[in-house]
Amino acid sequence: MGPLEGLAYGFSVALLPSNLFACFIGVLVGTIVGVLPGIGPVGAMALLLPSTFAMHPATALIMLAGIYYGAMYGGSTTSILLNVPGEAGSVVTLLDGYQMTRKGRAGAALTISAAGSFVAGTVGVVGIMLAAGWLADVAIRFGPPEYFAITLGGLLLLSRLSGGSILHAFVMVALGLALGTVGMDSISALRRFTLGSVQLAQGIELVPVIMGVYGVAEVLLLAEEGIAKAQITSVKFRELLPSPEEWRRSTMPIARGSVVGFLTGLVPGPAAVLSTFIAYTVEKKMSKTPEKFGTGMIEGVAGPEAANNGATAGAMVPLLSLGIPFSPATAILLGALVVHGLQPGPLMISQRPEVFWGFVASMYIGNVMLLILNLPLVGVLVTVLRLPQHVLATLVLLLCLVGAFSLSNSLLDLWVLVIFGVFGYALRKLRVDPSPMVVALVLGPMMEKTLRQALFLTRGSVVDLVARPLSAAILLLAAVALFGPPLVRLLRGRREKP
Amino acid sequence: MLARAVPLVLLVAAAVYLTLALRLPFGAAARPGAGFYPVIVAVFAIVVALAATASAFRGAQRAEAVALDAAARRRVVISVVALVAFCLGLPWVGYPVAACVFVTVVLRYLGGRWTTALFTGALSSAGSYGLFAVLLDVPLPRGPW
Repeated sequence: MGPLEGLAYGFSVALLPSNLFACFIGVLVGTIVGVLPGIGPVGAMALLLPSTFAMHPATALIMLAGIYYGAMYGGSTTSILLNVPGEAGSVVTLLDGYQMTRKGRAGAALTISAAGSFVAGTVGVVGIMLAAGWLADVAIRFGPPEYFAITLGGLLLLSRLSGGSILHAFVMVALGLALGTVGMDSISALRRFTLGSVQLAQGIELVPVIMGVYGVAEVLLLAEEGIAKAQITSVKFRELLPSPEEWRRSTMPIARGSVVGFLTGLVPGPAAVLSTFIAYTVEKKMSKTPEKFGTGMIEGVAGPEAANNGATAGAMVPLLSLGIPFSPATAILLGALVVHGLQPGPLMISQRPEVFWGFVASMYIGNVMLLILNLPLVGVLVTVLRLPQHVLATLVLLLCLVGAFSLSNSLLDLWVLVIFGVFGYALRKLRVDPSPMVVALVLGPMMEKTLRQALFLTRGSVVDLVARPLSAAILLLAAVALFGPPLVRLLRGRREKP
Repeated sequence: MLARAVPLVLLVAAAVYLTLALRLPFGAAARPGAGFYPVIVAVFAIVVALAATASAFRGAQRAEAVALDAAARRRVVISVVALVAFCLGLPWVGYPVAACVFVTVVLRYLGGRWTTALFTGALSSAGSYGLFAVLLDVPLPRGPW
């Protein structure tokens, strides 16, 4: 099936009433969690995952992905209006977005932000269509050594890019890998690290861990603050239109941000956040007046807002074509597919075209829905902020508890939720990013399986394992990314010393 | 203190993990057993946890979390205690009661009034029970009644 034929088929799937409804709910929830500070898209996706078990896999994927990219639209609203980022991918937007609000240009900033997100989202979907299909064709030839190299290389890159100390990222990776070994060994069926518990033989479920470190931990942080009420800036409908000059100045930043975002999304790491910083730096470097950035430059809103949406689309490529998630959000999408007995990877596009193409087409539809939701209805959306935060926080905790229990009706999942909630809170207080742990928990079992298969194939030769051209290239790339910057710093330091 | 405690706990956990991993069949490089990969992970975990502990004890002040005021600490502690109490109480008193008490207590200590907290607790407990247990067929424990 070619891309155009596939897309046409995808629209016939995505336009089914159930899928349209799922897409709407997904982007609406995404926009709301994007608007609300403290509750991120990953926590919301984990919360709603159990509700997708009874759905068709395409419907489940459409709804959960809608939350992910919808949050990128919603997140900018509070950055621009309140100087509070709704989620991490909108932190950069507040630098110039809020300054525009102070100058009375909030409406223009919101419109440019939504238009940039729409363009980048659409460009990203075209990117998925082209890149995922191509990568899947290549990946069919991959064997266990290549998959092992991709998972290992991905984790190394993630450790470098996740922000903060690389040592902390490594500790998180080690913890995630160790947690991934709990349960029954998939090859020998031996129980490992279960401490005699029958329930632990199934392994540690990903969803309660994610709900804990992203949902419960975030609510505990909100609990610190107690009652907080937002001061909302109202925006009238007629104020939403940017001037022709603002449109002109935003065109190229949106185009550059879309490409930067999509490419950043392909790389393991917190792509949505990272891409906004890269796009902002690019715009500042390209500008004739870089000193004005931070004072309400429309380019500083357009570029990053396009980039974070491009990144969410880019992050789908490794998931859909290789079956490898490089971020907690795509790990949840993988979880949703695995629950339905689907294994994303090179064969999914040809064997389950309704899931792949239905999902791709739904992203086009979702972006149009988001444009409508985020512009004319922006006034309605910000009223969500009038909800008392302590009531919202308490209800999110209750939903986390019910959601964790309903996964497999097990008290063990509840304890996992609470333990990882407290642990996630401690990590936030220490400014340690839990993402490497979550991704390692998902990739760990895949890494072990491919390592053992690869060693079996190469008769125990580690050299043969890493010397295959593609494995070697991937590991070399990861090694350069990991050790390159400190080496360059070291060499520069020596050169500067007489 | 938190900056030193977390890597220390992880170091101890990594040592325990290695001990348990060494009890599993290791196999050989050509035929790796169930313990092969966990031993590699354990060694990696011990090395990085050792480095993190050393780093925390050398320059802990830099990474130390900002201390909370008493009221903020109390709100966090009560939320955690309520979560633990919910997990412990669920099999005994059932979901409707556990959820109602949980929401009431957390909401009250996060800043709500008793009446609002109790009303929200009863409403959210009934609403979530109706949604999950009745509509979605999740077998939430009902308790002795």
